[in-house]
Amino acid sequence: MKYFPLIWAGLWRKPARTIFTLLSITAAFVLFGMLMGLNAGFANAIEQTRPGRLLVFPRFGGTLPLAYQEQLEKIDSVTLAAPLMGVGGFYRDPKNGILVVSRDQRSFKMWPEFPITDEQAQALIRTRTGAIVSTKLAGKYGWRVGDRIPIQSQIVQQDGSKVWTFDILAVVGDVPNLALGYMLGNFAYLDEGRQNGRGTVGFFGALVRDPAQADKASRAIDDHFSNGTVQTRTMPEKTVFQAALNNFIDIQFVTGAVIGATLFMLLFLTGNVMVQSVRERIPEFAVLKTIGFSDSGLLGLVLLEAAIPCLLGACAGLGLARIAVFSLPSGINLPLPAVTPVVFLAGIAIAVFVAAASGMLPALRVKRLNVVDALAGR
Amino acid sequence: MRSPDDRATDTMSALNQLGAVTLMGLRNIPNRLGASLVVVISMACVVGVLVSILSMSSGFMRTMANTGRSDRAIILSQGALYEFASALSRDSARTIGDADGIRKTGDGKPIVSAEALAFVAVTKKSDGLDAFVALRGVSPEGFALRPEIKLTDGRMFNPGAHELIVGRAAQSGFEGFTVGSVVSLPDGDWTVTGAFESNSNAHESELIADSATVLSAMRANAFKSMTVMLDSPESFDRFKGALTSNPTLAVDVSRETEFLATQSKPLNDFLEVTAYVVGGIMGMGAMFGALNTMYSAVSSRTIEIATLRAIGFGSGAVVISVLVEALLLAVAGAVIGAGAAWIAFNGNLHTVGGLVFTLTVTPALVGLGFAFACALGLIGGLFPAIRAARLPISTALRAT
Repeated sequence: MKYFPLIWAGLWRKPARTIFTLLSITAAFVLFGMLMGLNAGFANAIEQTRPGRLLVFPRFGGTLPLAYQEQLEKIDSVTLAAPLMGVGGFYRDPKNGILVVSRDQRSFKMWPEFPITDEQAQALIRTRTGAIVSTKLAGKYGWRVGDRIPIQSQIVQQDGSKVWTFDILAVVGDVPNLALGYMLGNFAYLDEGRQNGRGTVGFFGALVRDPAQADKASRAIDDHFSNGTVQTRTMPEKTVFQAALNNFIDIQFVTGAVIGATLFMLLFLTGNVMVQSVRERIPEFAVLKTIGFSDSGLLGLVLLEAAIPCLLGACAGLGLARIAVFSLPSGINLPLPAVTPVVFLAGIAIAVFVAAASGMLPALRVKRLNVVDALAGR
Repeated sequence: MRSPDDRATDTMSALNQLGAVTLMGLRNIPNRLGASLVVVISMACVVGVLVSILSMSSGFMRTMANTGRSDRAIILSQGALYEFASALSRDSARTIGDADGIRKTGDGKPIVSAEALAFVAVTKKSDGLDAFVALRGVSPEGFALRPEIKLTDGRMFNPGAHELIVGRAAQSGFEGFTVGSVVSLPDGDWTVTGAFESNSNAHESELIADSATVLSAMRANAFKSMTVMLDSPESFDRFKGALTSNPTLAVDVSRETEFLATQSKPLNDFLEVTAYVVGGIMGMGAMFGALNTMYSAVSSRTIEIATLRAIGFGSGAVVISVLVEALLLAVAGAVIGAGAAWIAFNGNLHTVGGLVFTLTVTPALVGLGFAFACALGLIGGLFPAIRAARLPISTALRAT
């Protein structure tokens, strides 16, 4: 790399131009990193669903009777069924929306990906008003173990009160699919505490013996309840996630289109800068040729000069994106965007492509430079 | 003493100067076409992306705005945040229908609709994934309540039978809703007997049937919500007061417009934040590109600008000429970007959850895109313009 000082000097010939170019590239890669990270986060969420886990919903909306739990477990292919419901509300200010999701013995087994020890789980099941909160949520409101938290809800309790109080038993790790954190409460408290709708749940999780037979098991469940008080619609967790995430916004299309437009813009920006920069220095390149630089050597020199700001900008942009995705304002608990190594490598590959595409024309011009004409200023 | 005429002459000459310098700069653009095109293209990309994403939010908000009327009120059970979470007994519905302030039909019946809701799983035409469409059961006066609903195809459902009509948007967004097809519901198949339009509002994404029939099919005995037509928008407070002070009722009463605004806020906020974050970051990139271009434009015109200054042109004229050039390039980009967004997306169908709406590129959005491009162009032109104005004339003239 003995030519590095030469390339460096070329870059800083006009510092303002190089800095602006670098900033343009950085901005483009911040966007690239954030959008690809969002995409990767969604893909992760779908990827992490368990193949043998089905979700049982009320077919036409509403709620399911809690009694379905026993019936579900009697179905041949189902090994475990767990109810899930929640009490929604807010902490202190309506802006601080929160959903306390129920947990009982079975649902801890059903969703083992939550980083909760057996002792913590048992403590929650023993403590009626207990709650387990994730680090992110606890950090946001400054909650500690032992704190007593009032949650204002629209769901009326037996005594007519709309304030649900919870005692924090444990603060545990977050999961990638819930970017805003989570709060778990005792199923019995949440269910029986309600004035209305006791004994009804939002949906059930059902584990099936053979994940390969998930579709068949789904049909078996729906058939079983086809004459029940409430009919069901059962789907593999993955299908539910896919539909739910895409229901919101066609994320792949939006990210694809935006990234396309950004790269298109970037190609013109850097390409123009390289053309200008090389045009101004034609006589200098002629001198370099005169003192013995080879044609392909100069070609490489120009390409490297294009590559340095592209790579620096890409690294800076992807790094910033990594930080930025955590501070995105979002009222919706979407999966956490993840600037994964794959996203990072894709970014670097694109930076190399942009460098090659924007540096190639000027580099070829320098390669084909006729020394005599160039020195004569023709 | 200077006469007003002199001052007018001064103004004229300043304008003349400005015009001359600006024209000179603009005539010069073809010589640095590449760099100028970069500004146009990058602004086009930024404005195109910004307007496209916001067209989702404006299409969505237009659909919601078309749905609500300030002389209609919606009643949910106390504490319910959305229709499906609410439950109103038949007794409550009767009490509400008798309340003061409700408009009556010609034969004296209150214009109210006690509604039942069910969700039907459907397949989206766009990506083949699952979505849920609402089946809304309406009372006999439901169509007097919503005169915007007009049958466009087939016939009205027969209230006692398992029949329903389908909204135009639901028909185009989801599989299996052609007139004559059947929809599977709790107690068997229901026939689609007709299709309706409804002023391009949210009801066009729904199925409509008879309230009592839906209720019995769902084996439910409570309605979800009730919507009433008020005597006038002003009678809302009186109506609300009557219901909330009635000890036999535990309900929340909202004006339909306000209810829908609350319902649509989270999604609209999400779309707007996305648009501004994405547009803002892209805009930064484009702005630095514009700075580069305008600096190089100024430096390629160094001798020209110094000459003008030497023969008496003011530095203000020079500053403005650079700014005007940057603005014109940015506006050209905005025209292309907004135009491309309009051609590519305006009128496209988009589905969020069970709601189907058309993306709308409104004049306000185009205006916003232009304003954004102009702001970026101004910043991109300002610093180079200042440099141009500060050029030391003698050294600049000696420069080669």
